[in-house]
Amino acid sequence: MTSATEDSVRFDHVTVAYHQVVGIEDVSFELKPGEFLGIIGPNGSGKTTLLRAVLGLVRPASGSVTVLGATGREIAGVRRQIGYVPQRRALDPQFPITVRDAVVMGLYPMLGAFGRMTADDRRRVEAALVAVGLLASADHAAGHLSGGQQQRLLIARALVQEPRILLLDEPTSAVDVATRSTIVELVRQLHAERGLTTLYVTHDVNEVMPCVDKVLYINRTVRAFGSCEQVLSRETLESLYGGRVIFAEDGGRRYVIVGDRHA
Amino acid sequence: MLEFLHYGFMQRALLSSVIVGTTCSCIGVFVVLRGMAFAGSGLAHAAFGGVALGFLLAVNPLFAAVLFCLGTAGLIQVASRKAQMRMDAAIGVFFAFAMALGVLFIGLMRRYDARVYGYLFGNVLGVTAGNLVLMAALGLVVIGTLGLLYRQLKFLTFDEEMAEASGLPTGALAALLLGLLALTVVVSLKTVGIILVEALLVTPAATAYQLTHRYGMMFVLSWITGVVSCVAGLVISYALGIPSGAAIVIVATAFFALAALFSPKRRKCKVCGRESLADTV
Repeated sequence: MTSATEDSVRFDHVTVAYHQVVGIEDVSFELKPGEFLGIIGPNGSGKTTLLRAVLGLVRPASGSVTVLGATGREIAGVRRQIGYVPQRRALDPQFPITVRDAVVMGLYPMLGAFGRMTADDRRRVEAALVAVGLLASADHAAGHLSGGQQQRLLIARALVQEPRILLLDEPTSAVDVATRSTIVELVRQLHAERGLTTLYVTHDVNEVMPCVDKVLYINRTVRAFGSCEQVLSRETLESLYGGRVIFAEDGGRRYVIVGDRHA
Repeated sequence: MLEFLHYGFMQRALLSSVIVGTTCSCIGVFVVLRGMAFAGSGLAHAAFGGVALGFLLAVNPLFAAVLFCLGTAGLIQVASRKAQMRMDAAIGVFFAFAMALGVLFIGLMRRYDARVYGYLFGNVLGVTAGNLVLMAALGLVVIGTLGLLYRQLKFLTFDEEMAEASGLPTGALAALLLGLLALTVVVSLKTVGIILVEALLVTPAATAYQLTHRYGMMFVLSWITGVVSCVAGLVISYALGIPSGAAIVIVATAFFALAALFSPKRRKCKVCGRESLADTV
């Protein structure tokens, strides 16, 4: 187990190369426990592969991934402490499963094949539903939820195992614009309240602003990594987007508007 | 009125109806939820090759069908993995191949044996005690495995990506389901036959799908539909003197039509659909 001073997640010159996945090359970064990392990059830049490497689902061809003190095959042993919110496709509205039942699935790895749900397990499920504001819909069909609520459901499923690390893969990609900011706020709130080491993947830089701790810009390889000031400066963003960026202020918040991505 | 129950062939037919109805309707939940309907039909046709081989070599056609169906399921699995193509294409390749072997085996037989064709449409009244033992054993394997892996298969079916991320061997579980489907096909051959088994793999579960939002309840409703269809079909076929496979499928389809017409799921949706459940933000 890691002590408080050790890194929660650490990549040392990690290269992943499979023909099935978008590869990443020579990726290095480190996160302290409780830090929030915004991972930005265009589609097909290896963001999902990076998260899968944290989960130990893809193994590096070279370099090493260390998660909560575990490395290589040991990562499977700490996977229960990692909550994962995969990129969402809309659920089949007729799929026969209730919201509560879908959240319970997050406990399956801990329950084993025949393990019964204990009172403590039920408490965790209730707490996860409360945390994302879905308790009132617990007995509805999961497929009948709106896009934003389905996303909350997936976050609740990741929270139910009370993880120390939370991975989110474009949690707003299948959500309408009006709901996006509420998802972003929910994630920030969970990070702050629970002290979760959080890796938040997005292709929209504005979702990690105002920036919390660190930002990683990836396009197959690390293009920029560091504090918010370092990465989200005009110079870095313009070189990364290959075009003019405009900073806009509104209600005390800063937004980035990208001029022409194809320039 | 129930005097027909005194006949041994009728008792065996009833028992086999219950076994077939139970096995098909339970694996059918996965066929419907995971979109394996073509796999079911493909494996059923592959059984034809096994049955023909059984007659050619004068061995039990059901044993030969077990080997043929499992072999075809394995080939489908390997080909879709290694050749990296969609599973439906792999099914198309190998089910046609197994059928072709069946035609070849029949051509190689010295004498024409009409019993081969009995397996195409099934005859529940012709089930022997030996058939019943094999059917019950295979049915137990299928139902027992589904029960043992209830949670794992539920996770796989609802969210394969997440199941994999939490450490489940999703590839092996999917292959296992295909294998169980192959065994289910063999269980059903004598009763409903190669052509009609697809109906029992899909229709009871599709009926249940219309009626419930709960996963466990889907098995219960599918099971009731499957067993009632098989038993009612058998009784109707006996009373009216019509082919049993056809009677069973027609009854099951009638249940499906009723469920689809009066589905409480969709009626409920119209009233309390997305609007009332919309985000509370």
